[in-house]
Amino acid sequence: MPETRADNVLMQKVRDGDLAKMAVLFERHHRALFRYFLRLTGNREFSEDLVQDVYFRMLKYRHTYRDGNPFTSWMYQVARNAHLDGVQKRKGDAPLFEERLEEPASAEPDPSEILRRRQDLGLLRRALAALPVEKREVLVLSRFQNLKYERIADILACDVGTVKVRVYRAIKALSQIFFELAGEKAS
Amino acid sequence: MTCDQVKEHIADYLAGALSQTEAEELDEHFARCAACKQEIAALSETWEMLGLLEPEQFNAQPSAQMRERFYQSLEAYRQGLESAAPAPARRRFFDWGWHGWAWSAALLAVGISAGLWLGGRERGRADLATLQDEVHQMRQLVTLSLLEQQSASERLRGVDYAYRVDQSDTQVLAALLHAVNHDPSVNVRLAAVDALRKFAGSPSVKGKLDQSLNKQESPLVQLALIDFIVDERDKNAVPSLAALQRSPTADKNVKEKALWGLSQLQ
Repeated sequence: MPETRADNVLMQKVRDGDLAKMAVLFERHHRALFRYFLRLTGNREFSEDLVQDVYFRMLKYRHTYRDGNPFTSWMYQVARNAHLDGVQKRKGDAPLFEERLEEPASAEPDPSEILRRRQDLGLLRRALAALPVEKREVLVLSRFQNLKYERIADILACDVGTVKVRVYRAIKALSQIFFELAGEKAS
Repeated sequence: MTCDQVKEHIADYLAGALSQTEAEELDEHFARCAACKQEIAALSETWEMLGLLEPEQFNAQPSAQMRERFYQSLEAYRQGLESAAPAPARRRFFDWGWHGWAWSAALLAVGISAGLWLGGRERGRADLATLQDEVHQMRQLVTLSLLEQQSASERLRGVDYAYRVDQSDTQVLAALLHAVNHDPSVNVRLAAVDALRKFAGSPSVKGKLDQSLNKQESPLVQLALIDFIVDERDKNAVPSLAALQRSPTADKNVKEKALWGLSQLQ
């Protein structure tokens, strides 16, 4: 969902007491937030709970929203905290990333090619799940949520150079895990 | 471009955000450095595969219940806020004061909202955790708000409320230390010293007690602080106790107590 000035204005209205405007922000962003959490946690139910938590927190802490602060940056900052707290509370529960996500309908004609690609994507999903959360987070923000590095820097409260270094380290770590898993499978 | 400089540009390379010049410089480097060329090939492959994972998950839509839960919760939250707003006409409502009634209503409303909000599969546990969090924050708000009141009796109630917040709450701890050091009422200062004992485990309390001792003029508060310092075995306060014991202006009882305190801490 692209950033718009309308989001910032809506959030200002929520902050100033017009709580009903949060419904518009929900309609605009809840799917993106759901997918963000789904990619981070691999668990649908947990992701839905986290989305609810984000909107609850945005209402509760609405007075901390500042004019001129891009709404999506603020929303993802809230989402990060909700995720970290949620994972902390789940400690001792069943591990995440157990759910198998939907397989897409493929139009490729060669069954062996489809099988290989599915296997590779399965390994990649496992590699992503094995990645430390701070590395997975920066990849989800940059690769899946399609956020620019400048925006990610806002969300993570660091400079753009640091974001680029983190992206490099994260994709390198993911790549290493993936090729190790692929090697195990081949041997 | 060196190998290290290449690494700084890899994130932009993957995102397709390189300038023409940077892209050419990278290509030049890859032409003469097999290691970097191999690394970028592996990273690009992983990055591209992540892109394939994207449409796989793209159809993952939240359930229909999620929207329903959101709208129910938003409505409950709005109603909760409306019912929690204090009525200005009721300045004194029985003997409890409007603070008590307003905050009770707020606690109830927030509790109900939080309960409705987190309805769902893990309702019980999530509800409880959120509710505990809300109650703690409300107690913190009540404490901080009461400690700022004009009336000394209201501030005393604020100190009393401080017993109900977690001892890890740094804001309440700071407010209590401020009350010990600056509150114009001796009664409030004394009560705040007692309340600080709840936070005795916190390292920030230990370091502050001798500072508080230096700021006090009331012998009663000085005596209470010396007791606290000795109970806490706070040896940082030894110089302050020694200075107090030698001070020509200090109260006789305080000087004796300081001497006793020094003997206990030796």
